[in-house]
Amino acid sequence: MAQSKSSEARTGWLLISPPALVTLLLLAAPLATVLVYSVLTGSRGAVSLPFSAENYYNIFRSSDGNILDLIFSGEWGAIPAALTKAPYLLVAGRALFVALLVTLATVVLAYPIAYFVSFHVQPSKKALWLFLITIPFWTSYIIRVALWRTILGYDGIVDSSLMGLGLMDGQLNILSYGVTSIIITLAHAYAPFAVLPVFVSLEKVDRSLLEAGQDLGESKFRTFLRVTLPLSMPGVIAAVLIVFIPTVGDYVTPELIGGGKVPMISNFVEVELLKRRNFAMGSALAASAMIVVAVISLIFILMNRRFLGGRK
Amino acid sequence: MTFSPDRPTMIEFRDVHKYYGDYHALRGINGTIRAGEFFSLLGPSGCGKTTLLRTIAGFEGIDNGAVLIDGKDMAKVPANARPTNMVFQSYAIFPHMSVAENVGFGLRRDPRSRTEKAAAVEEALEMVGLKGYGARAAHALSGGQRQRVALARALILKPKVLLLDEPLSALDKKMREHMQVELIKLQRQVGITFILVTHDQEEALVMSDRIAVMFEGQIAQLADPETLYRRPNGRKVADFIGTMNFIPCQILSETGGRIEVEAKGLGRVMLDEDQVPPARGEGEPVVGLRPETLTMLYPGQEPQERAVAGRIDEVIYFGDMTYYDVFIGGTDVEVRLSMRNVPGRPVLDVGTEVQLAWSPSALVLFR
Repeated sequence: MAQSKSSEARTGWLLISPPALVTLLLLAAPLATVLVYSVLTGSRGAVSLPFSAENYYNIFRSSDGNILDLIFSGEWGAIPAALTKAPYLLVAGRALFVALLVTLATVVLAYPIAYFVSFHVQPSKKALWLFLITIPFWTSYIIRVALWRTILGYDGIVDSSLMGLGLMDGQLNILSYGVTSIIITLAHAYAPFAVLPVFVSLEKVDRSLLEAGQDLGESKFRTFLRVTLPLSMPGVIAAVLIVFIPTVGDYVTPELIGGGKVPMISNFVEVELLKRRNFAMGSALAASAMIVVAVISLIFILMNRRFLGGRK
Repeated sequence: MTFSPDRPTMIEFRDVHKYYGDYHALRGINGTIRAGEFFSLLGPSGCGKTTLLRTIAGFEGIDNGAVLIDGKDMAKVPANARPTNMVFQSYAIFPHMSVAENVGFGLRRDPRSRTEKAAAVEEALEMVGLKGYGARAAHALSGGQRQRVALARALILKPKVLLLDEPLSALDKKMREHMQVELIKLQRQVGITFILVTHDQEEALVMSDRIAVMFEGQIAQLADPETLYRRPNGRKVADFIGTMNFIPCQILSETGGRIEVEAKGLGRVMLDEDQVPPARGEGEPVVGLRPETLTMLYPGQEPQERAVAGRIDEVIYFGDMTYYDVFIGGTDVEVRLSMRNVPGRPVLDVGTEVQLAWSPSALVLFR
């Protein structure tokens, strides 16, 4: 018995070794390199010893002096003004803000779709509906972004339609409002990702619970608020994570849609790594972004635990 | 059976029809359920009993006729405004809430203060034997406890009617028998009209003041348990409730309600009016005879009334009882009879020649 167990274990190790090796070489090793680089001293095109926290310190740089210095010296009054002049913090803040807005827009859009498919589509047709929802994935993301440019841009479909209908005199040119167009594009791109986990959690809601809610005197809407919504929270939180994590670090969309005018954190990482060739600073920025995302994700996962805790 | 028949009507069905597409689920339901009654809807699966219960709760609309609760037509009253509460087959306990939150779910708009509501919840839990369970997570409860929570959650709202959709079917036999007794006691204690849906005829007989037996979307018979058992009004009801021997017979004469028949192996019998339910055209006439109305005579024992010779074909041992399948002598008719097992009286073997005593008053004629 013990022998067969150990041979089973050996087979198991053998089976997982190829993917484990790939993961190690292509994921863990580069990640470790970034983390090590981030605490080395950087110069143009090279990194060298000694280890230092200089790069992380520099993230808090502003033209009014480093914000960490202001905090430690107790000059609280100067911090708000300095924050507006801190390039890294500003861009990081913007990336988080945009990611949160995209997440909010996506989940708010995806929930009704998932709800409709789960509750109002015949069981035999649900698979077809989910299949249709994934249609946007058939087109490359770059092409979809390009399409949004022609829809939102100067004299694009939105502008020409509104003007043709006589609703507007001048060009709206939504594309020129960097953040708005980035949010529209990303929300459209990630909506299917958000629909699926919400749909799965809604499917798991026992329909007799909804009848019980009404039987106990609540309206359909109240029953939704008190029963359906809390029970679908694990799916909502999964959707939030699935949308939030990649959008914080999204690189392509701000480059193509915002015309590089509203850079996000990953665009800064690119500038440091490829243009200024300061590998240490670029790594520190990348690592910081990762830490922030990890912390926010952990908060969501802990929230999810609370909801999962109440289920079988 | 302490139920008095002159109580006011609580629920009235007036020619209720329900279709699911082409399927005619309820085919003209008529009848009344009285206030304070323990009423059962009994029938095989697919007979429409759960559908009928759901029309009372308001989860199913009806296509024709009317359902009245306490004299009011429920056609335009949604489920959340009806004076009914339901114990679901799956219990439908909210898994994201504690026991107390589940029980207090329906009290949101109750004007009482928070502490008064908490006291009401505790009182309801005590009534179902779950005192002190309020803080427990609902998903950590056993099947029997879930059912009690579902009962407390419904009864705390003091409905006029409590609807129970096969509430005992998920429990094991011991627990089920225990809960049957508890439900009867609870119903007497709160005095609310209980309507139970069940496919278990024994459960219906044990618990109900009156039973509606349903087949194919219609009520076949609505009566108290004893009438239903002793005087079923048709072959289907007789067959569904308990065990019934059917013996082919010929109708010889009819005089003023009394009918004389010649039953195969039993001979000529005169039947009284109450032994002859209205004709239903269910095929060749038969007389029905319950197993326990037949008595096996031991050698040397003299028959009280009539007796017929037979040979034991099958023996089914139940512990307290034994069932015998016996061929009546000279015919191909087999009857089942039940015998209480008494110490000192051995269980008889297959092939034994026996005498069966039977009483004409136990016969029912189906034609």
